[in-house]
Amino acid sequence: MSPIAADTTTTWLTLSAMVLPFAAFLIIFFLSRPRVAISLAVSLICSAIPLLVAWWLLLHNHGMRAPMVFQVLWMTGGQVAVTFGFLLDPLSLVMLVIVTSISFLVQVYSLGYMAGDPGMAKYYSFLSLFAWSMIGLVVASNLMQLYIFWELVGLSSYLLIGFWHHKFSASQAGKKAFVMTRLGDLGFFLGIIVLLLNLGDLSIIGLNSQAAAKLSPALLTTSAVLVFCGVVGKSAQFPLLTWLPDAMEGPTPVSALLHSATMVAAGVYLVSRLYPMYSASPDALAVILAIGTITMLLASTMAMVARDIKQVWAYSTVSQLGFMLMGLGAGSYFAGVFHLTTHAAFKALLFLCSGVFIHHFATNDFFAMSKMGARSLRIPMVCITIAGAALAGIFPLAGFFSKETIMGALAELDQGVWLWAGLLGAFLTAYYSFRLLFVMWLPKESHAPQAEASADAKDQAHAAHDEHGHSSGGYWAMASALIVLACFTIALGLFDKKLIDFLHWGSPPSLPHHTWLLVTAVAAVLIGVALAWLEFGRKASAQQGFLSRLPALETLFAQRWYLDALYRRLTDYVVYGVFSRLFTMNDRRVVDGAIDGVCRGTVGTGWLLSFLQSGLLQYNLFIMVLIIAMIGLYFLLL
Amino acid sequence: MDSLNTYLFIALLLFCLGLFGLLQRRSLIGMLISVELMLNAANINFLAFNRFLSPDPATGQIMALFVMGIAAAEAAIALSLILALFRRMRSIDIEKARELKG
Repeated sequence: MSPIAADTTTTWLTLSAMVLPFAAFLIIFFLSRPRVAISLAVSLICSAIPLLVAWWLLLHNHGMRAPMVFQVLWMTGGQVAVTFGFLLDPLSLVMLVIVTSISFLVQVYSLGYMAGDPGMAKYYSFLSLFAWSMIGLVVASNLMQLYIFWELVGLSSYLLIGFWHHKFSASQAGKKAFVMTRLGDLGFFLGIIVLLLNLGDLSIIGLNSQAAAKLSPALLTTSAVLVFCGVVGKSAQFPLLTWLPDAMEGPTPVSALLHSATMVAAGVYLVSRLYPMYSASPDALAVILAIGTITMLLASTMAMVARDIKQVWAYSTVSQLGFMLMGLGAGSYFAGVFHLTTHAAFKALLFLCSGVFIHHFATNDFFAMSKMGARSLRIPMVCITIAGAALAGIFPLAGFFSKETIMGALAELDQGVWLWAGLLGAFLTAYYSFRLLFVMWLPKESHAPQAEASADAKDQAHAAHDEHGHSSGGYWAMASALIVLACFTIALGLFDKKLIDFLHWGSPPSLPHHTWLLVTAVAAVLIGVALAWLEFGRKASAQQGFLSRLPALETLFAQRWYLDALYRRLTDYVVYGVFSRLFTMNDRRVVDGAIDGVCRGTVGTGWLLSFLQSGLLQYNLFIMVLIIAMIGLYFLLL
Repeated sequence: MDSLNTYLFIALLLFCLGLFGLLQRRSLIGMLISVELMLNAANINFLAFNRFLSPDPATGQIMALFVMGIAAAEAAIALSLILALFRRMRSIDIEKARELKG
């Protein structure tokens, strides 16, 4: 598909959307930070305009047939030219709309959530920074530009996770997120270098159209898997998944925006962006499928035992991202992107609802929230139910349709194991989301040990909460964002035909349809819901999961499969035991030795030369006269 | 007798006397006087060359005047240095001023 140059209106609109949030960041951070009201206005305006631009672009290019590009040359060297600009195709338009919409809604929501926080203006400047980098990432026309914004997104994530940096755990979590994603980005960067050296062209269109033809299969797989390393880091996939639950230390709207709906989905977006390249390499797709499946199952089991409401959604985010990658790995571009879209809506909604509860009850423990009367908050309760049901995949909510699409793609694979894993995942998802919903709706009074535990949690939460300096109020700012997102969650599923048309340039592939699969998937979900009802919902239930009867397994899940402990060990043995020791030895012996040697040499020479300084003025004078006389003689005799 | 060589010989004698004094005298005042001697030897050279080689433009005489001016300035600076040294060491013997010995 040959790209066409973007027309003037599109160019200016897109460029303004790409620049305005950054302008907002600069203005707030350097000028208007002491004046909160002005800062908020600047930030909201500068995120509302990209929102309008994004929707206008989407509606205007509703039936587009060729991607639109705008590029300026950034740097050249030898055979390599790196450009800067934007590439608008259905995928980036959809993602642009998601990013700007949720970013705007979160900014509105934060008016209520962060009201009274002393760092509110700074918070909004960071949100603007994030919006800028995310928009830049989404519309980037080549991999180098995408990588730059990719790292900027990581930076804003670090800043926002550690926003309450006086809390030790928050600053630790920020560091952890930064380091772990950087580990994946190392692979991403190597992948870019491999592509640059072998292809000489990093533009996304070029990669998608030429990589398969010009690279040998081994090289193609290598570079695709290396780029996928970055995805593993950013989207919190299997080996690097533990940073995301810790990232919940940040303010809840941040979790909704960055760590569920948009930033962590950037990994999935990258794979979709390069999908023609990936689909040319079956091995790379197999890697994606395997990593996605492992992540999805691991994270779902972790979510089954968490008591912290944000942790549940964090694990669920990880597992849903794994699910999207499963869809992509199974060969269905549409399935991954569709689930990304619906997930952005319902997961942002889940986090924002949880934020209302956390704000109101000052605790993260949903058992405690329930006992304090979470049911009385009607709007968030209804919204969280809609979103939770969408997450579980209940008809007719958005999650149902996207999940069915992925299941359909999995069913097309040769091995049945992936489909069974997917069904197991659907069951686990339904179980943990309805566990939370039933607990929230139906508080039980009669559990002394739990009540005690939750009272402890409440005290801690109160202590933490007071530090944040929240003030109550702003309920409607929060509720309006919830209602908008709830409408999306309900309606998005109905647009699947339109979306697949749009994404495939008007000629969609026919999706496989299996009635048995539909029945099985719905059954898996219903079993999950029923199990949750038995254990948490019905009147006589003890509100204890079946896992509490398997303490070993429960600890395993609660300890995140000991992944963190493993990393600790690895860091101790490999980093401290090998690298640090070698570096220390190098430092002590080689570097210190060289510098000491130079010092000793200087001192020794100085000591030798000091004998010339007798302190006798006339002695020196005599030598000078002698030397001049000799020079004179030399010239005389010449 | 009245030839260039005579003057140059006298100047050379004066310069060598000055140099000897500069190297031999241990008193700073003595060294200063020796330096003055050397400057005067140079002056004699200037005047002699002026008179015998290019009498018309009085360049050598002007130069001699300059040298005298510089000698006066140098004497002022050297004397103040000697005074400062004397305040510090209670002596103007150059052998006592050996603090810069390496």
